[in-house]
Amino acid sequence: MAETSKSIFEKGIWAENPVYRQVLGICSALAVTNMLTNTLLMCAGVIFTTAMSNLTVSILRNYIPTRIRMMVQVLIIASFVMMVDIMIRATAPDIHRFIGPYVGLIITNCIIMGRAEAFASQNRPWPSLLDGLATGLGYSFVLIAIALVREPLGFGTILGYSLPAKDLWWQSWTIMIMPPGAFFTLGLLTWWARAKTDPSVKE
Amino acid sequence: MKKDSLPYVLGFMLAISAFFGTGVSLVHHSTKDMLARNEQMHRNRTIAHAFDLPVAGRDADAFAAAVEEHVRESRLPTDQRNWTVFERTTEAVETSETDRGDIGFIFQGQGVWDLIRGVIVLSPDLETVRNLRFLEHGETPGLGGRIEEDWFLEQFQGVRIAWDRPRDSRLIIGTALDPDAANRVDAITGATGTSQALMEMLNRDLHNFRQAFQDNQHTLETES
Repeated sequence: MAETSKSIFEKGIWAENPVYRQVLGICSALAVTNMLTNTLLMCAGVIFTTAMSNLTVSILRNYIPTRIRMMVQVLIIASFVMMVDIMIRATAPDIHRFIGPYVGLIITNCIIMGRAEAFASQNRPWPSLLDGLATGLGYSFVLIAIALVREPLGFGTILGYSLPAKDLWWQSWTIMIMPPGAFFTLGLLTWWARAKTDPSVKE
Repeated sequence: MKKDSLPYVLGFMLAISAFFGTGVSLVHHSTKDMLARNEQMHRNRTIAHAFDLPVAGRDADAFAAAVEEHVRESRLPTDQRNWTVFERTTEAVETSETDRGDIGFIFQGQGVWDLIRGVIVLSPDLETVRNLRFLEHGETPGLGGRIEEDWFLEQFQGVRIAWDRPRDSRLIIGTALDPDAANRVDAITGATGTSQALMEMLNRDLHNFRQAFQDNQHTLETES
């Protein structure tokens, strides 16, 4: 039976979240989450790429030759990533200097390739578009949660704005803006989320 | 026609490549002006920071105005390279025909992954580094990319260039026999070759620039 829109979103964002359930897309989850602004832009890029590549692969699924389907999927994904990269470079050049290398790496992001192959190549366009959006939102949910911990603890700011009277009560934790800070936060978040979503943990 | 036949596969690949190639080209073409403006803004901002210019505001016009008012850009063509030279034009300098303001030039070389380009500003006698800033690099974020961090760049302010030393050790980035040497700064980390690559390109370009500048300093072609 075809999946409903609600179940697609529930799976993508919660039950089968790509980051904490499938442990995919970890590189960017660790790299771009020390500033919330960078994270939001990266998430927008991933949501756009996942949704559009899923939609395109689904529309073309009956025409793509089976033996070159992976090559075609990579071409489609790479094209959307290049568009995202150019747009970020044009509209937010300073952020692009920080996250630019990771935007390029979206091409090889297992989440996007996985959804194109596992879902979009076997389903109709509308559910595929929803699946892409849901997966992108699931990825974004985790990254934003990590950034909301790292930026205040590491810089004492949120979206670049200082916490109230920061100098009076706050000493920045430099480790939180370094890679170990991302590992700790992601590990704790994964632990909590899996305890909430994995039935075997409850037993 | 069968979907897995060779003509179909080739035709499909050609069609889809042409379609998406056109799409990417259209996006690139439509943002070309914005990209050029961003590039110019970044260049002006880098020069303004390198020369520590007073800037009234944080927008592109403010940086452009500061650079136009305080820095003269010239070309210094030599057999090997067409140097881009910057000279600070302060009031004190303008009243004298012999005094010069701080001199800067664009250095470049191969980093670990990609080309590194930047602006280095020297005292008028070319003995001391005033500042150093990067225009572009493609080093690994969080590793070689840390050359852009303030703590690393600030080390260069006031560093003496040891012109009497061999060409490859006039500036030292990293370990040295004398850790307090006036021509030494700390490397970003020993885990990447970026510091070494930067040291080599700076020493090479400093040597070549000084030679070109001293030979041709009266013939700098002022930018129109």
